[in-house]
Amino acid sequence: MLYIALKMLLEDKTKYLGIITGIALASLIMIQQPGILLSMLTHIYGVVSDVGLPDIWVMDPKVEMIDDSKPMLDTQLYRVRGVQGVDWAVPFYKGGQKALLAGGETVNIQLLGLDDATMIGGPAVMVQGSLEDLRQPDAVILDENSANGRMAGGPGGPGHDLAPIRVGDTFEVNEKTARVVGIAKASQAFDSRPTLYTTYTRAKNYALSERKMLTFILVKAKTDEPAPDVARRITRDTGLAAYTADEFKQKSLDNFLRHSNILVNFGFVVLIGFVVGAAVTGQLFYNFTMENLRYFGVFKAMGASDRLVIGMVLLQAALVGSVGFGIGAGASAAFAMSTKGSGGPSLLLNWQLLAGCGAAVFVMVLGAACISLRKVLTLEPGVVLKG
Amino acid sequence: MMDTSNEVAVRCRGVTKSFGVGAACTQALRGVDLDVPPGELVMLVGPSGCGKTTLISVIAGIMTPDEGQCTLFGRDVSSLDKRELSRLRGQTIGFVFQAFNLVPTLSVAQNVAVPLLINGVPRPLALERARECLSDVGLGDRCEAKPLDLSGGQQQRVAIARAVVHRPRLVVCDEPTSALDHKTGASIMEMLKSLVVGDGKSLIIVTHDQRIFNYADRMAHMDDGRIESVTHAAT
Repeated sequence: MLYIALKMLLEDKTKYLGIITGIALASLIMIQQPGILLSMLTHIYGVVSDVGLPDIWVMDPKVEMIDDSKPMLDTQLYRVRGVQGVDWAVPFYKGGQKALLAGGETVNIQLLGLDDATMIGGPAVMVQGSLEDLRQPDAVILDENSANGRMAGGPGGPGHDLAPIRVGDTFEVNEKTARVVGIAKASQAFDSRPTLYTTYTRAKNYALSERKMLTFILVKAKTDEPAPDVARRITRDTGLAAYTADEFKQKSLDNFLRHSNILVNFGFVVLIGFVVGAAVTGQLFYNFTMENLRYFGVFKAMGASDRLVIGMVLLQAALVGSVGFGIGAGASAAFAMSTKGSGGPSLLLNWQLLAGCGAAVFVMVLGAACISLRKVLTLEPGVVLKG
Repeated sequence: MMDTSNEVAVRCRGVTKSFGVGAACTQALRGVDLDVPPGELVMLVGPSGCGKTTLISVIAGIMTPDEGQCTLFGRDVSSLDKRELSRLRGQTIGFVFQAFNLVPTLSVAQNVAVPLLINGVPRPLALERARECLSDVGLGDRCEAKPLDLSGGQQQRVAIARAVVHRPRLVVCDEPTSALDHKTGASIMEMLKSLVVGDGKSLIIVTHDQRIFNYADRMAHMDDGRIESVTHAAT
């Protein structure tokens, strides 16, 4: 009889397509919106993720998040280096500057200054050039997305509206020449600002007006020293704030969420997706069952038990739920693939998100099935003998 | 308790059934006595609202009587629980409905296979048996058609095939010819009689279609919830 239940559903193509479309759209909204949010949130601490080598980030105690720049005196670096358990410590500059492009337009950029000697804090993946090229005069490395997007200018070649920035191109940062010596992959900043890498010394030169320049100190703990212990020791000995990379990511994230309504806004959209999806799906599934109510009565008259009828309705609900969710998740994955690396709004899919949406769809179709089942189970088979 | 004697397929004694309460109470059956022997076609006839449909609902185990006893092949219908009644209906009774009640989204063969599938027969076997049964009613070449592609007479033949496919011992028909023209109605009656009664099974037909009265072996005339008289066909 489960075969009959599937046939009844699949052969009623209009209803079937309507129900799975409703579930697919609801799934798409419920996956896509949190996926975009997750992606945006990872951009908040993108720099911390990109700088993989250090274990510990040291900063002014008043810093709340990665974009919260409260520079320290350069002498703090030496104090940190003297703390027990520190293997090495290097300076790291992070600040906002303005770039003047060849075409005359200005762009706000995120400038990162790497330790001159070791280049620690630089991008992990170079598309063109190398980190060593930063040793050349006026050298900077630009992130790939911005080279092709925000920083692009002038007439482009075939397939490009604007000519991307290439190695060898120059522009100005605070009226000082910056020459592109490399293009790198980097996490997009939360506000989509281009990321420009240079040496710590040159970054100080670009940002001359600032008295204190040392934004962060990047620290590696000795092999036998747990990073959290070393971080606590740095705080104790220097009075500076010190966090492991994961702690700093979490702190940045918590601070952002605490001071924005982004969770409420995205949550509201997800809730609307769920409510509208549940209403549309529930209505269509209920209508489908009502249209077949007479036949369920016939089956009951012919000897189908309540258990069998429940199984039939639940199977129909499970099928539309699975197919609708699969289409919605597939469409979300396609969206994620198409926006990956585009520099625009991207989407982060993880198993927790898919499982959460799957659970929401399960609740949705189970609710629809239960409402329909109430009618089916209270149906007297004698109704089919009443003409 | 199972009655092993095959003398009576259906036996009703003092069956009463009412609907509603208080002033809205309607007495549908008022102490009905009826015997249906195996291999006989019994017609329940009478005006609308006289209790015919209620009586076959009680006989078929779809409703339980308020008072009295109704036994089906020796089993007291009112002593069975819901699950046992479902099983009894599934294995013992075939139904033909006035409105055919064929599922429009299923093929004709799938519709006919439904009683077998309810009884747990594997799908390939059920569909094979359904096709054989459709051949028996002259629709062997329309197995994959949808019910709405068939004429009214053909749909009723499909319904008959569905009623007999699982070889029930009793077939209950509710106004099987009322939606059909005289010629088609006659052919449906011939088919029912040959497939059911000819095979030694019992057939109960509720009707007020006088054109088919001559097919009855026995006719129970009902009025106001009672069987007023039972007439036997002239031999």
